[in-house]
Amino acid sequence: MSSNETKLQDVLKSRGIDIAQVDEQLEAEIPEAKESSKKLMETYYTLKVTADMEVPYWYNRSWWENDGELIEVRRARAMGAALAHMTPTIQPYEKIVMNKTKNVRGGFPFPWTTSSFFLAQADALMAEVDAPAENEADAVSIVGAGGGNVTKSYGNIISLAKKFGMRKEEIPVLVKTSEPWRGVSIEDLADKYSRTLPGYGQYRDLMDSVVCMFDSFAIAQGREVSNYYVPLEYGFDRIIEICEEKMAEVMGEAGDDGILGMSRGYYYAAMKEIVMGLSKWCENYSKQAAYLASIEQDAELKANYEKIKEVMHNIAHKKPANFWEAIQMTVCCHLGVTNEDAMSGLSIGRLGQVLQPYYEHDIREGIMTDEEVIEILELYRIKITCIECFASAGVSGGVLSGNTFNNLSMGGLNKEGLTAVVPLEYLIIEAGMRNRTPQPTLSVLYDEKTPEDFLMKAASCTKLGLGYPAWMNNQGGMNYMLDNYGPEGMNLEDARAWCLGGCLESSPGCFQPLHFDGKVTWVPGGASPTCGTGVHFLAMPKILELVLTNGIDKRTGKRVYPAHNKNLDSFEAVYEQWKQYMNDSILILNKVNNIQMDVWRKYLMPAVNSLLKPDCFKKGQHLGNMGARYNASINVESCGTITLINSLASIKKNVYDDKKFTIEEMTNAMINNFGFKTAYETGVFSPDFRESTENSTKYEEIFAACVNAPKYGNAIPYVDQLLKTYEYDMYKMVHSYNSYYGKPLYLCQISVSTHGPQGFITLGTADSRLAGTTYSDGSLSAAPGTDKNGLYALFESATVYDHGIHQNSQMNLKLHPSAVKGLNGTRKLLDVVRAYMRKGGFHVQFNIVDSKTLRSAQVTPDKYRDLMIRVAGFTQYWCEIGKPIQDEVIFRTQYDEA
Amino acid sequence: MDKENINLGTEKKGLIFDIQAYSVHDGPGCRTNVFFVGCPMTCKWCANPESWNKKKHIMFSDKMCKWDKGCAACRNACPHHNIKFDQSGKPSIDWGICMKCDTFDCVNICPNNAFKQVVKEYSVDELVALLRRDFNSWGPDGGVTFSGGDPLMHYEFLLEVLKKCHKLQIHTAIETEAYAKQEEFLEIMKYINFAFIDVKNMDREKHKEGTGVYNDLVLSNIRALVKAGWKGRLILRQPTIAGYNDSVENAHKLIEFMNENGLYEINLLKFHRLGLTKWEQLGKEYEYSNHGDMTEEEMELLQRLYLDNNIACYIGDDTPF
Repeated sequence: MSSNETKLQDVLKSRGIDIAQVDEQLEAEIPEAKESSKKLMETYYTLKVTADMEVPYWYNRSWWENDGELIEVRRARAMGAALAHMTPTIQPYEKIVMNKTKNVRGGFPFPWTTSSFFLAQADALMAEVDAPAENEADAVSIVGAGGGNVTKSYGNIISLAKKFGMRKEEIPVLVKTSEPWRGVSIEDLADKYSRTLPGYGQYRDLMDSVVCMFDSFAIAQGREVSNYYVPLEYGFDRIIEICEEKMAEVMGEAGDDGILGMSRGYYYAAMKEIVMGLSKWCENYSKQAAYLASIEQDAELKANYEKIKEVMHNIAHKKPANFWEAIQMTVCCHLGVTNEDAMSGLSIGRLGQVLQPYYEHDIREGIMTDEEVIEILELYRIKITCIECFASAGVSGGVLSGNTFNNLSMGGLNKEGLTAVVPLEYLIIEAGMRNRTPQPTLSVLYDEKTPEDFLMKAASCTKLGLGYPAWMNNQGGMNYMLDNYGPEGMNLEDARAWCLGGCLESSPGCFQPLHFDGKVTWVPGGASPTCGTGVHFLAMPKILELVLTNGIDKRTGKRVYPAHNKNLDSFEAVYEQWKQYMNDSILILNKVNNIQMDVWRKYLMPAVNSLLKPDCFKKGQHLGNMGARYNASINVESCGTITLINSLASIKKNVYDDKKFTIEEMTNAMINNFGFKTAYETGVFSPDFRESTENSTKYEEIFAACVNAPKYGNAIPYVDQLLKTYEYDMYKMVHSYNSYYGKPLYLCQISVSTHGPQGFITLGTADSRLAGTTYSDGSLSAAPGTDKNGLYALFESATVYDHGIHQNSQMNLKLHPSAVKGLNGTRKLLDVVRAYMRKGGFHVQFNIVDSKTLRSAQVTPDKYRDLMIRVAGFTQYWCEIGKPIQDEVIFRTQYDEA
Repeated sequence: MDKENINLGTEKKGLIFDIQAYSVHDGPGCRTNVFFVGCPMTCKWCANPESWNKKKHIMFSDKMCKWDKGCAACRNACPHHNIKFDQSGKPSIDWGICMKCDTFDCVNICPNNAFKQVVKEYSVDELVALLRRDFNSWGPDGGVTFSGGDPLMHYEFLLEVLKKCHKLQIHTAIETEAYAKQEEFLEIMKYINFAFIDVKNMDREKHKEGTGVYNDLVLSNIRALVKAGWKGRLILRQPTIAGYNDSVENAHKLIEFMNENGLYEINLLKFHRLGLTKWEQLGKEYEYSNHGDMTEEEMELLQRLYLDNNIACYIGDDTPF
């Protein structure tokens, strides 16, 4: 503290000014990450993303050896064989061990899900060339070229899905492993039956035009919340015993269920298989640690290997006896599930609340200190960051941006309806502040009952500009739970157990009694299958474009929908036809998805996840047989909400209310990109990059009218009412379709990264967005540069409807660090969060822009069109400020950060 | 009288050039900052020169203009034929004509926000409705800050708005130069909870040189406010500009003035040049384009001087509120 600061505090005290606040005015320094974290992160940064054939080889071998076996047992045995035969890899300095594959950043292909790509490309792969794009969605998806992504083949490494590097010598194994799945992979079987649908042609047209982004069976699990209760409560040896007891009890008994009652016996037989696999997998790590200990010279590292040996041996058999074993057990189960399917968005859930009893025990018994727990939590972050998802380029780049969204939630309410915040959750945030890794991302379930000091701690982490924690409305989430899962019997108590699956997929949960340390703790966890498969990513602005073009995609010249041939003589006519095309799309896409997912659950019913998810183990039914407590979990995902709403507002205002021009003139202007060069021609995809052509003068009045049309985010009722109508209409629309579980669909409003590729295929839109450029992101962020009335007006616009009717809403905000500087700044950041939550906003996340960002904003200003700098009494767009001043501000920002 | 005034008030209009939400350095908590146009001073370093014109007008940004990408959408927009293009197609305007114009056809046709209208008219009810909306979002400590320009230039309008804020129990702050008739100033301050008052220079002549007016009225208004037993929190503010008001002598005079009046909080704002582009967009020359800078060390030395005299001195946005 400088001498002026000390002196100022003295003066303030003597003057009696707000002493309580001033005393804590200075923010505590954030300690560095632990040595072990730093060493492992150094390695991580050098690692490439790999794919190898070890797991597919063993899965395949066991699967075909067991030809004729009962399907659920065959599946679990194959999965167990894959786990039991995986080479254990332990790095020096690791304390939490296990990887998805033998490599640290590894994934592998699932030919039993999709083999056609590998088979079709067998020759090309064998010829060692780059894997070509799989389909249209892949072709328009761009995978980040930096970091660990292997976007091109090099040396002995072949690039797969523009992301994974596979060693040349494994390519023949890939081709050979894929061969037996010709015609019988999930993809092939589902396609065989989908082709019998009268609307199959429509389905193909929607996929080929990228109006729908991808088939979600490609990542059939995930976007759900994990549940580690069963292994924590019983341990693997005891689970095997229970399976045997249950088999003795229910084998040959149907009970009163003539369809699935008999399956119970086979379920427990299958669970025995998978648990033996999990146990063996752990034991192999124990053995590997023992070996490493035997050859290690360094005493500290040797002791560390000895400890790993002990932990892995214990959890291979017994229920965890301390914090270290408990968190290691959760890692084992988590990775086990991620290896069952191409997996993205398997969320960790409210881990702090699950592990609190172990933490409490260890601290009391002097087994661990807080700092040691923080180290374990830092290392846990690295472990989760290493989880990769092997899927097509369209999925991993276009949809997921390479992230596997292992979300960790904190806060919310406990079983009794009181705040669920526990001491361990403070340490989870602390670890996230010290070891800044992309995963697990953190989410705060904000409730009015959440302790203020916890919220402040979380806000001080958000302030670091890492993008986490994001903030979710706990009561809003509970409302959604009761509305969506009430028909399945969800009560208030279970509603309190919800949290985020994937990045933002609200998922149902329940509390279960964990017996540990001489007491019972009711721990929350996920209680449903995936909450994020279904009809995935409808390009809603593109569908509006197709209304205006009578069903023909003017970009490709191909017909997407049957001609409606309607006279669009009113705004209502346009909107009704848009709803009609939406309905046409969902109708066929849902049927195809139902077939895909049904085939998946018949052949690839989850094994590990069917052990974990309540009430599978109690009921004796796997997830495919609706063993989970809640099953109305399938959704329709939208993309481009605000681009759609702003476009509708422009059409309503300019064409029908003010009659400035006709709908034909509007359409013509859109087809001609308002006379500007298209992004395809210029190669610049920023929404505000506009290069005129000789045609520009023809459209400039229309274009100006589109620019000036009312825009969402400014508290203008004219456009906000359209959003409100849309949201309630969508509720009705999606609920009229049933999933393969026989339950209504609901709306999920996360664009993830799809607003890039789906924007790419969309012509100019009536809101003045140009062809090929991205849609507005999230579901409630304003289109860049159009929210001119500030944050509070944006909040007003965003909360014109009840967010509790859909699975989520998404609001991304950018703030300058100067707005949140110091302890007062943390409080003011929390004020913003609270303001939005109080108004019923469901989700908000912040980009706190620092000098690094400003510097890159200087190089690529188009990407930062909406970045404003806010200084006392002054506001200006970054891009409007000259370079010398920008330099000065960067300098000031740097100074402030120092 | 009150009733009559409120009735009149609903017809009064305020000219406002910006309303900034989530304003966090202009009073306690999170605030909405209302920037009024019109200023009795013409400070040579001003960061908000668009506030000087007490009418709706345009700004023109060279940087936003996309003439280099072939745009000429404004070619026929100006009713005064005042947008001229050079051989390369770059537009320019004659500010003398633009400042007298109130049609804004150029703003309506420009898709790039290069031409923009910077002043909007609000009725008392419109502004209060907006504040009531934002009331939902401020949090427990926040409220509204009236700034500018100088809000005192809109005495009648401001008074009506303040009375309504008072009834709604909205926390009010003001950023002012206190250069107004004393009775008007005191009347406004009755409804203000928190005030920043600028004292730009203690030297009479220098004050006139930098701001265009003498400081007598400013200082007497502050004295009168203290004497009237005003209950709010008063923080003096000084934009600190090298070579103008950064002398030890000026600081001592200010300390003396503060001691005489029982004031003990001051906020020094380090000179910045963020307003430069705004001067350009208004077609004005900026005198402070290359001098006036203060170093961090110089700011801290000044701060020390105040602290040693038991005056709480804050630099920039490093404030305890």
